[in-house]
Amino acid sequence: MKTYHDITGDGGSNVLEQVAEQQALTERALSGVRWMLAIGSGKGGVGKSTMTLHLAALLQARGHRIAVLDADLNGPTQARLAGMGAVPFVPSDSGLALPRSPGGLGVVSLGAAVPETEAVQFDSVAKGDSHTWRATREFTLLGELLRTVEWGELDCLLIDLPPGAERTFQFAEFLGRRTAFVLVTIPSELSRGIVGRSAAALADTPNPVLGYIENMSGYYCADCGDLKPLFPASGEVGWDLPCLGRVPFDPGLAALCDRGESLERLPDSAAVRALGPIADELLGRLRALEEKP
Amino acid sequence: MKFLCVPCDQPMKLVSKSGPDEGSMSLVYGCDACGYEAAMLTNAFETQLVASLGVKIGKSGADGGESKCPFTGMVQDGTQTEAGAPEGVTWTDGAIARLESIPSFIRPMAKNGIEKFAREHGYVEVDENVLAEARSHFGM
Repeated sequence: MKTYHDITGDGGSNVLEQVAEQQALTERALSGVRWMLAIGSGKGGVGKSTMTLHLAALLQARGHRIAVLDADLNGPTQARLAGMGAVPFVPSDSGLALPRSPGGLGVVSLGAAVPETEAVQFDSVAKGDSHTWRATREFTLLGELLRTVEWGELDCLLIDLPPGAERTFQFAEFLGRRTAFVLVTIPSELSRGIVGRSAAALADTPNPVLGYIENMSGYYCADCGDLKPLFPASGEVGWDLPCLGRVPFDPGLAALCDRGESLERLPDSAAVRALGPIADELLGRLRALEEKP
Repeated sequence: MKFLCVPCDQPMKLVSKSGPDEGSMSLVYGCDACGYEAAMLTNAFETQLVASLGVKIGKSGADGGESKCPFTGMVQDGTQTEAGAPEGVTWTDGAIARLESIPSFIRPMAKNGIEKFAREHGYVEVDENVLAEARSHFGM
């Protein structure tokens, strides 16, 4: 009796061929993107989205062609961070025009179209039990966005990942081996533990991990001006990755993010000053990837 | 998944498909050699899982369990017009074709946003020029 692998094709359902075609179309759509960079963590609330948007803006300010994909379909924040307001999705000549922030940054986020008072809902023939299919559906929709948006020629497409340690691994497989990763953590033992799991998972993938960013590394005391710890964590992190930089907590930056304003409005912020060297470090490491055999 | 006619040791081919009917699809496979046919009947979970891959069963392009637009509810909410505003806008065939080239799940969001733009700018019909103007207006 023949086995599965003895039979060519699938008899007409064409499912595997369609999946392969999707992957090929995605590769073609992203062929003009020089670097793919996923900003992940595993831990929620560490500032992945903030780091993604503002590093993207800094890279753009350094003359690079940059866009951001908000891959957190259920908690999209990039549209708000970018100050986009209600920018609609508009068809282009051959797909979806790349939405732009007021600063000219390309940002694709469901947050621009789904009000914050509403949950992202998917229609289904299987009423209830969405845990059996929803993750698949979400990745399919992200694939459609990657294939359909007219990204054009970009130096870097930054992808803001949703929280969840398993997500970093899933996105490594979904985005492909050329996507580099940066992990964001805060100096708490809890966060380091979760991010450590993400780092371990990524170590099993062929994806390059450029390093990690330590956000909320401390706060500047208003009285004495010293940098003081926000979290009691001490000692080294539990993973072998370079630290790309440490960003102190600044309530002014948090408020700026809520308002969707540019970093230029906070020139004296230590947090903002910390981001510049991180952007430069990222550029150096991305360029170094191209030099590797 | 593949189907094998065991007596003939030959792959079976998709003959017909129907559904989803209450979430179930019926896929009939047949053997060219002996004519034997078997039907695969999916439950709603199986139908939805395949649909979630964004594929269609078979090459005919008929609906093989593809989910409906997931934001239909939002479309219905979003198309409520303000008092005194035009009832709505019409779309030309060309503009509709452009709309249908984008992912189905964001189509209603795009439609709502473009119609809002059209109404705000005094248009009663969305054509490709209005789409181009919308792109320019939003800096795309």
